[in-house]
Amino acid sequence: MKSDLLPYHDTKDQGAADFYFAINATFRFIHDRLGADGWVRYLRGLAAGYFTVVNTAWREGGLPAVAGYWRAFFQAEPGASVEVQEEEGRVVLDVRKCPAIHHLRVHGREIVPFYCQHCYHLGQARAEAAGMSMRLEGGNGECRHVYFAEPPAAPQDMNLIRTASSC
Amino acid sequence: MLGCYDFCGHYDWTFEWLRQQGGESLMRAYWEEAIAGDSQRHAADLIEELGFEGMRKYWAHTLEEEAAGYTLTEGDQVIRIDMHDCPSKGFLLQNNISHSPDYCDHCIGWIGPVMEKSGFTIDHEHNHCGKCWWEMRRTSDPSPPSEAGQLSGTADVRLDPDWRAPGASFDRFEKCTSVEHKVPPAPGQSACST
Repeated sequence: MKSDLLPYHDTKDQGAADFYFAINATFRFIHDRLGADGWVRYLRGLAAGYFTVVNTAWREGGLPAVAGYWRAFFQAEPGASVEVQEEEGRVVLDVRKCPAIHHLRVHGREIVPFYCQHCYHLGQARAEAAGMSMRLEGGNGECRHVYFAEPPAAPQDMNLIRTASSC
Repeated sequence: MLGCYDFCGHYDWTFEWLRQQGGESLMRAYWEEAIAGDSQRHAADLIEELGFEGMRKYWAHTLEEEAAGYTLTEGDQVIRIDMHDCPSKGFLLQNNISHSPDYCDHCIGWIGPVMEKSGFTIDHEHNHCGKCWWEMRRTSDPSPPSEAGQLSGTADVRLDPDWRAPGASFDRFEKCTSVEHKVPPAPGQSACST
């Protein structure tokens, strides 16, 4: 797929879903070895390092760039069902079927219970780098991400992010 | 969300992050525990249960899913893979991504422990340009790796004109199950077997 909205391009239209096994295993390994703080540090490092190109595009392109990126992103994730809406001052991602949770469940994998928190830590750190903010609600297969042009008054309530489970 | 479309990109970044956190030992533990023992346990289970047939089943599925350009050859008590167009390293090359010092080592880093657990050893060589070959034999089998073309004929990647493309550098592993068993090339020489 060739989308100018994604920083990297592959010869295939969609990624290989079995890589979700590795993402889940990576989270477990880092959390076990380095603790919860180490895992969050890993995600924030990814956000500031690996995703620099995307953060810059978001900073320069604003909310339309955020919406365009996520539409292209989920088109390339096998099994995703996500609606991306641009609203006044924000972009809302309505994740009806999370491709990662779905694939891990179908294949009987033990999903790390904190899996869904990664979307917040990664999303908020990337949004911050672009001068925006992000909040997350739901999880465990269905959730709602909101990217704000201006920081919302309330901090993220981590209790609003569900524990992931294998069934 | 961390996605699977650009997985190889953040996988490579993760190797370097782990190396900075805990050195080579943490990165190698990651390949052995998280990748071989957790992520790829379906491969380990297939190979442990079915041996060569399990290898054929695993790689037929995963290399098709990843759209690799490869040939799998089944010989007498050996399986050989000639990788002409590695989808993983190819993704990095195509997108000019390079965070870790030797991305290609991750394959032997996880496949090695899987093979050791099931009683197999590996002869392997990669050129860091998206091409490599693998031969898996039982640990008790003293046979040396094949000569170029001997097992896979014209599909042997060592006969590919680009095997020695500019920029290629060769890492070789002999009868091994660990990334620590890399054979250093002699000074001024390629480690290539042809």
